[in-house]
Amino acid sequence: MTLRTKPTTLRFYKECLLRVLVHIQQHLDEPIELQTLARTACLSPHHFHHVFTGMLGESVAGHVRRLRLERAAMRLKLSTTPVVQIAFGAGYETHESFTRAFRSAFGISPIQFRKQKGVSVRVETPSAVHYSPKERPTKFRVVKSEKSMNVTIKQIKPLRVAFMRHVGHYNKVGKTWDHFLVSLGKDGFIGGSVQFIGITHDDPGVTPQTKLRYDACVTVDEKFRASGEIGVQKIAGGDYAVLTHFGPYESLGRSYTELLGQWLPRSRRCLRPVPCFELYLNSPESTDPEDLVTDIHAPLEPLTI
Amino acid sequence: MSTKLDLYKTHKAEYVTPRQPALVHTKQARYLVIEGKGAPGNAEFQACIGALYGVAFTVKMRHKAGGGRDYTICKLEARYDCDLENTPKANWRWKLMIRTPEFIEEKDLREAVETLLKRGKSPEVKAMALESINEGDCVQMLHVGPYEEERESTEAMRRFAETKGLRLVGPHHEIYLSDPRRVPPERLRTILRQPVRA
Repeated sequence: MTLRTKPTTLRFYKECLLRVLVHIQQHLDEPIELQTLARTACLSPHHFHHVFTGMLGESVAGHVRRLRLERAAMRLKLSTTPVVQIAFGAGYETHESFTRAFRSAFGISPIQFRKQKGVSVRVETPSAVHYSPKERPTKFRVVKSEKSMNVTIKQIKPLRVAFMRHVGHYNKVGKTWDHFLVSLGKDGFIGGSVQFIGITHDDPGVTPQTKLRYDACVTVDEKFRASGEIGVQKIAGGDYAVLTHFGPYESLGRSYTELLGQWLPRSRRCLRPVPCFELYLNSPESTDPEDLVTDIHAPLEPLTI
Repeated sequence: MSTKLDLYKTHKAEYVTPRQPALVHTKQARYLVIEGKGAPGNAEFQACIGALYGVAFTVKMRHKAGGGRDYTICKLEARYDCDLENTPKANWRWKLMIRTPEFIEEKDLREAVETLLKRGKSPEVKAMALESINEGDCVQMLHVGPYEEERESTEAMRRFAETKGLRLVGPHHEIYLSDPRRVPPERLRTILRQPVRA
């Protein structure tokens, strides 16, 4: 067995994200690429966004938007550059859209802001990371979880699953499931003890909704063969952190963020670079959305001794 | 495409959930059923639930794949054909049931069972049957809490029937609105139904 230094704990995740925060401030005018950010953080692109959002209390896009507005505020105060030009510089195509965004962040319009004395160029934020023309962020406040989270670590045996891939908005996943379950069910592959699983490959916070990949999966035995639109894959066994999500599927994202962004950094465990999976414990067909129960499984690296 | 059929919604009046006993009138209904004996929750009971769902699912998906009308698979129900107060649980006779649309026929059941057996699924599916049950007038109420604490509710139902001059006939019927694997015992919701006659 190889002994590795265990890059776990909150400090590890803080260092990962700090590199990302520095990168963002240095590239504030460039498009944000998930792959680049994940690589900078040394985190898997499958999980990066949730870790970021959970620890900083805002999404990557929200963070970038806020920093650009803070920079614009500073320019309003320290220069005589016309507002329109500052708006373009902040990434807005029109004066109006900039004014709207600026007002929702600072409470007043850019023109009033320029005139008014004693206003702060910072927007309050839980992480306390702000735009700075010279300094690089050297620390940030980790958002505290408001509620206690009931996360258990389970050892899962490898699962062989038949699956059908869905590409597009998550709210259309039901159609794929319908089609998939009829195909499998009519041929007797869904007996009493199968498990219904979903694998989310992308992050809706980063990937465009039309490109989100999702696999609807049902456990099958060794005899099952892939055919047509139905493939076969293996879900790796090992340790998984499991958080039970109660309620509609639409709010699953929040639970992912809690698990990966708040529980994980304090867990002394690291993620394996493979996607999470969802185990559906009741059927959306005969259950009210608020009574749905889903176990979110996040794959963990084995503990090194 | 026709809309999805939900039998519990279609027959809303039969699935009322009063907290106190009430009279309901039920009409003949078709069920997928499997019978067994022993304490509810034992291995045979569990295996039969699995088999029942497997058959219900396969029947539905075959029907849908053949262009038939889509419908929701109803909740698990059970009838206990013995004196529950005075019979040890190990000797309870039960019939597990899932309500199924009238357009599902014997042939659909047989073909679904064959398909499942071909896939090596549980042999219990062979014992599955289609049955039409007509309970007529019933006393019904919602029981909230563990199954073990149903006695108070069944007592209330018996007293209610008496005050109406009715006697209890036929097996005690339960409709499991909650999934006991997911819901804590104190929050389990179960419709209790008892056929009555004047």
